[in-house]
Formats: sequence, C-alpha cells, structure tokens
Amino acid sequence: MGSTATRSVVRRTTAVLAASAISAVGLAACTNGGGAAGGSGGGGASDSLTMQFAGPPVSMDPAKAGNGGSAAFVSLAYDPLIYQTGEGKLVPDLATKWQYVGTGNKVFEFDLRHGVTFTDGAKLDAAAVVASMRYFLKAGGGLVGNVGSIDAVTAVDDDTVRITYKQPYPIAPESLTQFFGIGNIIGPKGLADPKSLLTSSDGTGQYVYDGAKSVSGNRYAYKRNPKYFAPSAQHFKNVSIRIIGDPNAVLSAARTGQVQFASGDPQTAAAAKKAGLTVQTAPFFNWSLMLADRKGTVLKPLADSRVRQAISLAFDRKTLASALGGRFASPSGQLVLPGIPGYVKGGGYDYDVAKAKKLLAAAGYPHGFKMTVLTQSLIDPNTKYSQAFANALNAIGIDVKLKVESTGIAQFAADSQSKKYPAVIFPTAGSTLYATSAQISSGLFNPFKSADTQVDHILATANAATGTKQEQLYEQANSRYADLAWVVPIMSTLNIHYLASDLKNVTSSTINPNPIPTGPTSELSWARK
Amino acid sequence: MLRVIGHRLLVSIPLLFIVTFAVFGLESLIPGNAAQTILGENATPAAVAQLNTQMGLNDPFFERYAHWVGHAVTGNFGSSVISGAPVWTSVVTRLGVTMSLLIPSLVLAAVAGVVLGMASAVRGGWLARLIDVVSLLGFALPSFWVGLILVSIFAVKLGVLPATGYTPLGTSPSEWIASITLPVVALSLYGITAIAKQTRDSASEVLDSDYIRFLRANGVPERSVLLKHVLRNSSIPVATSLGLISIGALGGTVFIENVFVLPGLGSLATQATLDHDIPVILGVALCFTLAVIAINLVIDLIYGLLNPKVRVS
Repeated sequence: MGSTATRSVVRRTTAVLAASAISAVGLAACTNGGGAAGGSGGGGASDSLTMQFAGPPVSMDPAKAGNGGSAAFVSLAYDPLIYQTGEGKLVPDLATKWQYVGTGNKVFEFDLRHGVTFTDGAKLDAAAVVASMRYFLKAGGGLVGNVGSIDAVTAVDDDTVRITYKQPYPIAPESLTQFFGIGNIIGPKGLADPKSLLTSSDGTGQYVYDGAKSVSGNRYAYKRNPKYFAPSAQHFKNVSIRIIGDPNAVLSAARTGQVQFASGDPQTAAAAKKAGLTVQTAPFFNWSLMLADRKGTVLKPLADSRVRQAISLAFDRKTLASALGGRFASPSGQLVLPGIPGYVKGGGYDYDVAKAKKLLAAAGYPHGFKMTVLTQSLIDPNTKYSQAFANALNAIGIDVKLKVESTGIAQFAADSQSKKYPAVIFPTAGSTLYATSAQISSGLFNPFKSADTQVDHILATANAATGTKQEQLYEQANSRYADLAWVVPIMSTLNIHYLASDLKNVTSSTINPNPIPTGPTSELSWARK
Repeated sequence: MLRVIGHRLLVSIPLLFIVTFAVFGLESLIPGNAAQTILGENATPAAVAQLNTQMGLNDPFFERYAHWVGHAVTGNFGSSVISGAPVWTSVVTRLGVTMSLLIPSLVLAAVAGVVLGMASAVRGGWLARLIDVVSLLGFALPSFWVGLILVSIFAVKLGVLPATGYTPLGTSPSEWIASITLPVVALSLYGITAIAKQTRDSASEVLDSDYIRFLRANGVPERSVLLKHVLRNSSIPVATSLGLISIGALGGTVFIENVFVLPGLGSLATQATLDHDIPVILGVALCFTLAVIAINLVIDLIYGLLNPKVRVS
C-alpha cells in the first residue's frame, strides 16, 4: 500500500511538525536564557520580588480586606500604624509612640510620624488617620469585629489620635498592626472615592498598587512609591503577588525561580527542601473540635461538662499529630500555643480512654451516643484531619457522622451558625489569649451563644490589667476554658513557607506566623542578596 | 451560505437566554452567597443579611435575572461584586488568554491528528499499532496530569520553558510562545489522539473503496489520490470530531489554566463560582456560549466547503 510518494508526504509533514516543536522549545530556551523565569510573574532581577499567595484578596480596599497572610496585599501599599515584626515585636511605623491613658485599658493614644505623605500628595496627620479609621469601622469589612468595641476615634491634636473603647481592650497596639485592617491608613482622596481603592491605592506604603498591570485573581502588581518616608527600606522597584492555589504548581513556580516566596504544604515540603529552597515554618493553626452545643439544644449529652471532658480525654494527640502532620504538626491540648501569654505549662488534657469512659458513664452515657460534626474540605483537604478526629471518638463509644461543607469557608461559617450542628471541627489562630477567647466566643465558634460568668469575670479583670498580673489572669482563664471543655484543641499545624535562597530578612514566629515583605526599616523589609 | 449563517445566528439568540438563565438558576442553588464571601467567616448573620439587601441579593429570583438581562442587552454586564472590576473588561482581557490556548491547541490537534491518522491508514503495520496505543493513552490521561508531567520535565528538570504564568503576545512574542507551549501541548493531546483515530478509521474506509482503486488503476499520482480524494472524503467525520473536541477543549481550559496559573476565562469562572460572583459567572457563561455558537458555525461552514451536498441542502 505505501508508495514512495505516500512515505514522502508523511515524512515531510512529520518533519515539519518535529521542526515546529523543536523550534518552539529552542525559542523558549533562548528567551529564558536557560533559566526558568518566564511568564508574567517571572522574577530573576534582584530589584524585583514575586511572591505567591494561594487565593485572591477578599478586597484591595484595606477596610474590606482579609487578614493572616493576605495582609501582604494591603500592607505593600498601606503602612500600618504599628508594625509587628516576624518575631512578634511591635515597632513604630506611622505611629511613633503609643500608650494607654489612665488605667483600665479603655483609652489609647498614639503619636504620628512627621513628614509622611500619601500617594495622593496629602499630608499624614491626625485628621486623615481619624477619617481612615472611621471609614474602616463603617465600611462593612470582615475584620471590623476583631478591633475591639470602639466608642470613638478622635484627633487630640495635629499628630495625636485617641481611641476610646467601650470595654477594656488590652490588645489595642496589636489591633493597629498590619493584620487588622484598621491600622492601614487610607489617604483622603481614596476615602472620597472608595471604589478607586479596588483598582489603585492611596496609602503611605513602600509600593503603589498598579491596577493596570494587574489581572484580578491572577497577578497583583505594585511599583515603588517615590514618596515613601524611608527610601532605604525599599529594596525593590517592583513587587508582584501571583495567585497560585495548586501545591504542585506552587512548588514548580518556586523551584524555577518564578516566585521567591511561596506558601508551602506538608506534601511538597520535602521536595522543596531538596530543590534548595529554604523551608521556613511557624506554628499557626490550632486544630480543634468545638463542642458548640453547650446547652444541649440539639444534642443533650453536650450540656454535661463531664461528657465534654470525656471527649477532651479521647484524643491521642501525639500520635495524631505525628500521623497527620509529621514534622509539620505538634500535639496541642490548650487554647493557645506555647510561647503565648496564658499558656499553662503542663496544662490541658492527657490521653486517657478509661477515664473518659468513666466520665461518660457517670454522666449517664455508658454506651456513648451519636453526634453529627460539621467540617469542611477547604483547609482540611479530603477531610483527613476530621476523619482521624472522628475515629478517635469511636474509642469512647461516640459515633460521629461528619457533615462536610466543600463549597467555601464562608458557607461553612454560615452552616456553623445555623444552629443545626452540635460540634464543629475548625482551627483557631490567635497570637494572644484575648484574641483566641474573642474568636471562640463569637461567630462560627459559638453559634449557640454560650457564656460563662466565671471566665468572663477573669477575662474582664485580665483585660484591664497589665504585665505579670495580666499573664497570670490569662493562665487562669485558660484553665477555666479547659474545665469547661467547650473547645477541644487537638494539634497545631505549622505555617510553611518556601523562600528562594537569595531572599533575606524573612522571619516568622508563633506570635506572627505570616511574614510580609515590607517593614518600616531596611532590616525589617525583605531584600534579595 | 449567508442564509445558513443568518439562520444559525438567529437560532442562537434564544440559546443565549436559555444558557444564562440556567446558569443563573444553578448558581442560586449553590449554598452561600457573595455577601458571606466578602464578610468572611467571622461575619454575623445580621451583617450578611444587611449586605445581601444592599447588593439586591434578597430580591426575587426572576426580578434579579430580568435586571441582569435588562442591562446586558444594552451592553452593560455589570461589575464584579468582589473586585469591582467591570465584567466586560475582565472577560475580554481573559478571553485573549483562553484563545491563546484554544486556537493553537486545536490547530495542533487537527494538523498532528490528521497527519498521524493518514500515516496510520496508509502505512498500517507498526505505525498503526503505535497510534492505537498512543490514542488509548491520550484518551486515558487527564490533561491536567499531562500538564504536571510536562512542567516537571521541561520547566523543572530542563529549565527551558516557564512552569507557570502567561506573557501577552503584544508584550513579547517569543515569551508568549514560551508561556503557551506546555499548556497547548497538554490541552491538545486528547484532540490529537481522537482526531488521529477518527482520521485513520475514515481514511481506511475510503482507501478500500472502488473509486480509489479506479483512480490508482488510471495512474493518478498517489499524492493526488491521498490529498485530493482520500483526505477530502474522510474529513467530514473528522470535522465533526473537531467540533466536539473544540467544545471539550473549551471546558478543558478550566483545568489547564489552573495547573499553569494562566489568567484565562476558566480560572475566572472557577474563582467567580467560589466567590458567588454572579455578574462575572454570567459574563463568562455568555462568553463560553458565544464561543460554542461560533465553533458550531465554523464547523457548519467547513462541512459546506468539504461537501457540496450540504451547501445545496
């Protein structure tokens, strides 16, 4: 069948195809010079930084933005009043001095740095800061519940601002850092047209958001701010944040130098280390089982503290942490992690199935009971953690049925607050006991609105106290929370980051596990060697 | 032919309404809403309800859809409820990226598939068997997995192509080629193997027909037999396959764009769905529907060119 002409046609066409493929690869090789930057976010030059984040920002408007690692989207363009270093120390940024006025931690004042201008050209003064903070309080963003019950924000004089709280608020300085939104100050022009903040920026930060060069949901571009107050801290001409969700794609981008900073994953961490990337870790999530129905509204047994304590005793935390997270997880039996004021050395619950069964029997449930637990597969992929936690409860006779929400964290939060589920699996994350207790007292952690007068009293006293006395009171509160067993901490997981070998000044800690690239001094800002 | 095109376009108008209505309806069945996304996990039900009211999400279903249609027919597709960016601008910007993947991958699939299929039909033997095996692999391997393997070889190990990202053609043609090479290869693999198999089957049937024997017996050059007669007569089912593959590849871009982190329509649709960003979801659905209509129209025109009987009918 195959004649010479046929073979010739086939050979020629095959050769054309092969040549096209070879030339495409060759052209690409020439383009990249054998390196592997390429693409829109390609790094390579030491005066540019490309970092990765797993998802797009909630908003580019600081008043509606997210917290945690996504604070970088805002902080690049908007300086916070107070800067939290990677080690967790609070250092001056737009505010140079701060203190509570009087006793009781209800009035807080700070002085502003001189000589700072917004990108719109306006001068930073108390009036501008007050306007920005008032806008934050009314903008309807998700972080407004995390900044204390503010009664008023007023300008004392041109460079002093006063915040008055309705209740004692011991973490006012922390709430003005880059992770809470209210401290990231927006300029007057931006406030006059808040929609403009979605496509451009008006802050005092090291960089200016360049909406024209950004692609929403894919790449966010920033260029150097020529008006920044400390040019020596600006180590880059351009900074980009690329949105890469898939852990394998993240690793590929980090390994080939397309990004210099990326969020890591326990599954890819070993490969990242082998590829020469620095793997930096810090404790972050405290995975817990919230026994939310403390009045027994939908599941009567949970109203009995002996049942909740029995559940707390059912987890072999050491084995679970080792099996589920390897070296990226640790057993955790307390609301706060070691190193955070309020942590009680030797506190928390041990693993004791026999004692747990005795407690259940004493409470009238010698054969256990059935319990539906709400969980999600967004930050617990394949519900690996949730299934292990549920299995652990089988050992004391509690038959757990998992209800998995997979459409989004927001929907998970709505489900949790629907009061249909007696228990919820979700991590807490707080760098102070105050923050953690605020977290577990509201929203998805406390759908049935439980309250305990004893813990409230201890916390109210602690919140108005200072120094060692405050720490002792937080330890008391932590112990009381353990007795109540409303929340059953099980294990803490680490926040993992991959750093290019030439990236420096990146630090993280238990108190601040989310490093961001900008800081008010050269040493606190990321740079490339 | 112009009447055919006109008729097709007229028929497609109700289709646009049906698709957008169906997407609107399906989206409303997904638990959650944009207000919950914007306010985050700590939002109180009261705050979510308030924002829902502000954004008009509590309005009746038909009223919301009618509101969208009313604006869409005037060319106003609204803005993203999350980013505030105009939907039309977002869709047009990302359409270029998706087309940068789709068109080259279809061209590659068509050319490589037809060449391999013809070669297999004409030569038979080991080449045919090899194409059968490769076809099976092409059918079995998901494109995102192929993409990951290509990245690990050409980006991570060899370092000749970027692992992720997209460079617009206008910025740098050579970097554009580099940025789309791996995604295009990954996206076209299924098409190449499907078209190769379809071409081989059709061409084998044509090669066995009497008129081919007659042409050869009359001394018509082999090249002419293959290109003018065998290829042309076997290409109608191939064109059908290409149409179906094009529509499948449009869906495949969703996965490929995620693997290679390309800012195309697929990734926009994924994110918008997660965020319950209805204006963007509808904008993307409209764009995908228009693309499918265009693909079907092009396939109809190709039929007409290949087969005069179709033109007459």
